[in-house]
Amino acid sequence: MPSADWLALWVSVKLALISTVVLLALCTPLAWWLARHRRRGQALLEALLALPLVLPPTVLGFYLLLALGPRGPGGALAGLGNAHSLAFTFSGLVIGSVLYSLPFVLQPLKNAFAAIDRDTLDMAASLGASPRDRFINVVLPLARPGYFSAAVLGFAHTLGEFGVVLMIGGSLSGETRVASVALYEHVEAGDYASAGRLAMVLVVLSVALLWAVFRWQRRPGSPL
Amino acid sequence: MSLTVDLRLQRGAFHLSANAALPRRGVTILFGASGAGKSTLLRAMAGLAPSRGLIRFGDTLWQDEQHSLPAHQRPVGLMLQKPTLFPHLDVAGNLRFAARRAGADQALWRRVVGRLELGGLLRRSVRELSGGEASRVALGRTLLSDPQLLLLDEPLAALDQARRQALMTVISEIAERIPVLYVTHQLDEVITLGEHLWWLEEGRLRAQGTLADALAGPDSPLAQHQDAAVVLRTREVAFHREHHLLELRIGEQSLRIPATGPRGEAPRLRVAARDVSLSLSAAEDSSVLNILPASVESVRDLGQGQCLVRLLCEQQWLLARVTRYSCERLALAPGVGVFAQIKAAALV
Repeated sequence: MPSADWLALWVSVKLALISTVVLLALCTPLAWWLARHRRRGQALLEALLALPLVLPPTVLGFYLLLALGPRGPGGALAGLGNAHSLAFTFSGLVIGSVLYSLPFVLQPLKNAFAAIDRDTLDMAASLGASPRDRFINVVLPLARPGYFSAAVLGFAHTLGEFGVVLMIGGSLSGETRVASVALYEHVEAGDYASAGRLAMVLVVLSVALLWAVFRWQRRPGSPL
Repeated sequence: MSLTVDLRLQRGAFHLSANAALPRRGVTILFGASGAGKSTLLRAMAGLAPSRGLIRFGDTLWQDEQHSLPAHQRPVGLMLQKPTLFPHLDVAGNLRFAARRAGADQALWRRVVGRLELGGLLRRSVRELSGGEASRVALGRTLLSDPQLLLLDEPLAALDQARRQALMTVISEIAERIPVLYVTHQLDEVITLGEHLWWLEEGRLRAQGTLADALAGPDSPLAQHQDAAVVLRTREVAFHREHHLLELRIGEQSLRIPATGPRGEAPRLRVAARDVSLSLSAAEDSSVLNILPASVESVRDLGQGQCLVRLLCEQQWLLARVTRYSCERLALAPGVGVFAQIKAAALV
């Protein structure tokens, strides 16, 4: 496999890793708030957050292109760092992936938080645990299976991303050319041999990832 | 330290209000039908259900109209109706959770683990515990948080009879140092543990007072109970080895009972209303050992041919359940002097 393809694969994995970490950090307070409170307007907010589930990725990508471009807020943000646009940059891809994969991380976390018994938290409080203490030592351990699903889904979904990347990423080698885009380009150029090799690597990588997940789940003492 | 509450709480259509003082020590039974708001009141006192009003514990104000001390800062040991152990920790982990945060020392740990016989359970997962074991662990965890006030919601409901007896002893020992508010529907727990009683009805705290009044008072719901009973405070005066009898004194009268059960300094004698019969003269030729002169305070028709007679004997209440036929035959009415024959009695 040519080194350009290995590089594209590396960009994909790096993008998935970073997006997953950002998503876990972002969705933890959001999911907690959604799971524990009932507010007016919450249904609308949840609908908006779930939008990437039903929207064609190219639609999301199109709006992101406008938002991240020189005339959008992304461009203004980029202006702070001596650039004029976030579109066609790795940072732009991370923002796109985070939005695109958000429901896949938010939902498992929200379900995990909602499943924690109110009495369990009350008991922890009356045993002297402060809110922060309760979150770290009761909520997080009890939500561990939820975090696990959220991380796996977020990572896998970002790895398989295509439409959004195509719209906002372009195909800069080492920067925004991810594996799925590289594969598409091979097919367009009629290079089925290269496409086949890259596709096989992606299949093996995905199987290995899922295999590791299911093995881990079956461990005795695993919380899942 | 003593606790005074003056609380109001609204939850949907349910309104709770309680204005009462908890004695400095001893077990106060919180009694009431289900849905009366007992658990809600405990939660409000622990700071877990938002309520309005005042809670003062000793010199510390826990709550007034402006401020409320959060639950984790109130030195309360709460036990909910279900054990609510942390499922991600084993038994030792659950106990440590409480001990660490309270700064409990090794001595307290050993005492609690020893008294509640938790040593063999420490390595167990909480999912493997039986209902009774889980209750013991939950009680142990609560005690390891070194509370200054215990709020217990039917803590012994899941336990077998032998364990219940043992744990009642543990709880009454703790109650010698700190106040305990105790929810239960079990009359034997009321009688064994209780010194005071709060009576909650449809969210309102109707009555508070001593157990004796609660058991036999004119309006007491407990006196209507199938197992209505009183607790007599007695003094132990002698032990007759040859007959294996314990001689107790109530006022000027003496009672003899089989010497079983624990012997305390001031034995509490449980006398069930159905074990008391009445006569107008003291029978000398009866197998009944204990015949006490008493005067009738009131006679209440319980229906189905039964009457409950409330007696005053040496300034203590006594209840007798007799047939209406006997009542009429003996012409029992307030003020009549009778002899109460106590057939069997049990020390509690």
